[in-house]
Amino acid sequence: MTGVIERARTLDEEYGIFNALAESDDSTGGGRLEGVAVSVKDNICVMGMETRAGSRVLEGYRPPFDATVVKKCREEGALILGKTTQDEFGFGTFSVNTPFKVPLNPHDRERSAGGSSGGAACLTSVADFPHLALAESTGGSISCPASFCGVVGLTPTYGRTSRWGLVDYANSLDKIGVMGKTVADAALLLSVISGPDEYDSTVSQAQPEDFTEYLQNDVEGLRVGVPREYFGEGVDTGVSEAVWGAIKGLESQGATVKELSLPHTGVSLASYYIIAMAEASTNLAKFSGLRYGLHLPLEGSFDDYFSRVRARGFSEEAKRRVILGTFTRMAGYRDAYYLKALRVRTRVIEDFKRAFEEVDVLAAPTMPVVAPRFDEISGMEPIQHYMMDVLTVAPNLAGIPMISFPCGRVHGMPVGLHLMADHMGEGKLIRAAHALEVRG
Amino acid sequence: MSDQWTIDRGLVERISKVARLELTQDEVEKFTGQLKVILEAFRELDDVDTEGVEPSFHPQELSNVLREDEATPWNWDPLENTEHREGRHFKGPRIQ
Amino acid sequence: MKAVIGLEVHVQLETESKLFCGCSTDSEGAEPNGNTCPICLGFPGAKPKVNRRAVEHAVKIARALECDVRPRFYFSRKSYFYPDMPKNFQITQYEMPLALGGRLLLDGRSIGITRVHMEEDPARLVHVGGGISSSLYTLIDHNRSGVPLVEIVTDPDLASSREARMFLEKLGLILEHLGVYDPGREGGLRVDANVSLEGGQRVEVKNITGFRAVEDALNYEIIRQESMANMGIAVERETRHYDAETNTTSTLRRKEQEEDYGYITEPDLVRIDVDDAWISRLESEMPELPDARIQRYVDEHGVPLFQAGIIVNTGLDLSRFFEECVGLFPEPGMVANWIVTFLLKSLNYEGIGLRESKVRPGTFVELLGLIGEGTITERLARELIKEYVGTGESPRSLVERRGLASAGREELGEAIDEVLSDNRKAVADYRAGQTRALDFLLGQVLRRIRARGDPVEVKRLIRDALDSE
Repeated sequence: MTGVIERARTLDEEYGIFNALAESDDSTGGGRLEGVAVSVKDNICVMGMETRAGSRVLEGYRPPFDATVVKKCREEGALILGKTTQDEFGFGTFSVNTPFKVPLNPHDRERSAGGSSGGAACLTSVADFPHLALAESTGGSISCPASFCGVVGLTPTYGRTSRWGLVDYANSLDKIGVMGKTVADAALLLSVISGPDEYDSTVSQAQPEDFTEYLQNDVEGLRVGVPREYFGEGVDTGVSEAVWGAIKGLESQGATVKELSLPHTGVSLASYYIIAMAEASTNLAKFSGLRYGLHLPLEGSFDDYFSRVRARGFSEEAKRRVILGTFTRMAGYRDAYYLKALRVRTRVIEDFKRAFEEVDVLAAPTMPVVAPRFDEISGMEPIQHYMMDVLTVAPNLAGIPMISFPCGRVHGMPVGLHLMADHMGEGKLIRAAHALEVRG
Repeated sequence: MSDQWTIDRGLVERISKVARLELTQDEVEKFTGQLKVILEAFRELDDVDTEGVEPSFHPQELSNVLREDEATPWNWDPLENTEHREGRHFKGPRIQ
Repeated sequence: MKAVIGLEVHVQLETESKLFCGCSTDSEGAEPNGNTCPICLGFPGAKPKVNRRAVEHAVKIARALECDVRPRFYFSRKSYFYPDMPKNFQITQYEMPLALGGRLLLDGRSIGITRVHMEEDPARLVHVGGGISSSLYTLIDHNRSGVPLVEIVTDPDLASSREARMFLEKLGLILEHLGVYDPGREGGLRVDANVSLEGGQRVEVKNITGFRAVEDALNYEIIRQESMANMGIAVERETRHYDAETNTTSTLRRKEQEEDYGYITEPDLVRIDVDDAWISRLESEMPELPDARIQRYVDEHGVPLFQAGIIVNTGLDLSRFFEECVGLFPEPGMVANWIVTFLLKSLNYEGIGLRESKVRPGTFVELLGLIGEGTITERLARELIKEYVGTGESPRSLVERRGLASAGREELGEAIDEVLSDNRKAVADYRAGQTRALDFLLGQVLRRIRARGDPVEVKRLIRDALDSE
């Protein structure tokens, strides 16, 4: 598959997809992924391949081990193609928060591919060879770029896939998931990478499933819930219409549709960002220029040295989140921010649990808008960046599985339908999205 | 609310020390303004009644994931990724 | 001024592997960083997983200290930056620790135990080109990183440096009994001591190794605080470093320099539920603790309380030694007496502990057997024990080799006859009522038998011979 690596290099030059690329094909073949090139988001460790998670602070870091998901792909015969571009540590919605390459939207290069798994989504769209992507979501980083690039992005239940080898953003939220051109692609890769792992204490003990068995083209009797709060202010009317079109499509195939309410949708944004930043600010503490990654001359006291390395190694958004995250867990503020956010998270989970007593899946727009232009993004304040995630953070906070599926276009740009199910309900998502894919 | 809730340059500078993150004066200025806006928005959590609600440390509660006490050496070179080494030691900055 | 002392005791748990990874905890002779992996070095993407035995050891400690083991507990991240911390946070326990609220009885006084929790040890640092405050750079060896520790926090119930030391000795003994801690391991027990004088600010003295060092450090610190108070200088709340070489403490950081630890619950680990069945099983595995053992020696073996106390409190090695000896030589009173009165003295004289000595139960009871059967006298045995402790040679072979067995009846009879016939004047004096003459005759007989006889017994035989002459 050496030709694939060459082709990937060309695509990289056009779209800004890779932070590192395989030098040769060392795949063994002979498994479910024989002949498939699997790209790996930069924050997932590939043994011996530079892994920087989009950050300068990990410059030169070559992991001494493979992430469990990477190991599983190798065992199924895949070629591990390279490390895809992303926001630094996953801190962003447009893949612009990085000192390295910024991936471009394949449908309009003036626009963002979304984030933080932007490179993965872009490559999934433009690859003209058998390709599947390993991506990762903390608060929407699979769904958002899948939606903006018009590909299928599947974020599994928290703990469905092992996080061993994932450069942590927020450990209680991080999920390794998949992207593919089709629902079948996504189902195949998820089947390969899910399952228990002795190296991750938070992984589910549920045995691996063959998710391709859910590709049945049948939604008869499927109960679809439409949460009112996901069609509110700020959601582009064109996007709403496209999403409703897909929902009607499910209805016409025998699904029942019902509107309902998830009252804590709005506050999930604050809860998410506080928890994510609190955890992230502790995860980033280890990057101090001693054992791996960016090194500076050992001058001054350790306080000086660490402060200098971190100032040099982190870019602006990472610095902002370290400051914010440190604040939310400091004595005196901790109860009102960190612990309060964890309690609100319980409320958000309860919302979903209540909804899934009545319906099988929830349907909503993935993102409130289509991919914005880079000149629009550069004018946005941080809080406006964060607010772009308003529709994806709640299911991520609750750790429920979700799939973003392309359901039409607005102004020539793809729109994503977001389907969500209860914990461990990936099968229902695959079933519903596949029916739309086959019959529209 | 008392003074402790005031987001100002002093607080941002204090956080930057706690976090071992050197900030330029411009960054302190910029972050102070942004923090005010962001934390103000986050205060909407106050509107949620969480009386008697347990915090969710994970989306689903798991428990008792333990490993047996067996020594299983890891075959690797821990110093492979560092320039800061002396013999088989990592080399670090001085304390003071 | 009354001192108020509370201790934070860090105990290294005896396990095969580290707290969160499979690296060995035995780094004796290992090269620096030889016992490490991506987990204990905090490499990106590596995740911890809790060692079951460490949890079980910690639960046993908590129960031995009469703490309530929490039905569910969590681990937390304690954030602070230091070159010995690979992740720049320590995985420890904060608001939901393993156990709360216990006590340890010290001579009938109850010392409160605030909490017992688990945490990981940081790396070992070598300060090159100076001390902690003047070095040029540090060398970091992570073999110790991630070794399981239990932290035992006491209430501020200790009133003197001596009491603090007694507390630690007793605690060490309990831990040794539990089989969770090796008293021979260097740095296996480290102490942070909080000390204040009544009404004054609290000072924390960090990282003291050894029971005597704790007493010394506290003595220094109490005197320092007293002198300051006498000079009218307020003691500031601060953290101080103890230097064992100079036996002094010095400022490490002041209150305003204290870290803001920013605790969060460790999101890579899950809750641990400890149900009653688990606790019961662990309790059933718990051995007899020192206080119960002392009582058993008294009740079952009739050993005097003070001797039982000395045997048990000296250490588990000696208790085991005593019990093995009693198994071989079922006269516990005599065994206890000889251990406490003579064996310990000889060991002390040699400056060695029982474990390093060549003393073994089998040979030790030989010595007691020789006395019991009358082969040697007690007096001789007291002499022989010194040689035995030094060499470990079987007392029976020692006696045989050196011809030290007590003179037999025949030999003794002959010696008495000879002495009486050679010393007629003394015999006459005795008959004239001079009792001192009997002592002279005794001396002569003992000389003839080279002191291989019990003087009281020999004296009686001489008197019998004189009376029947």
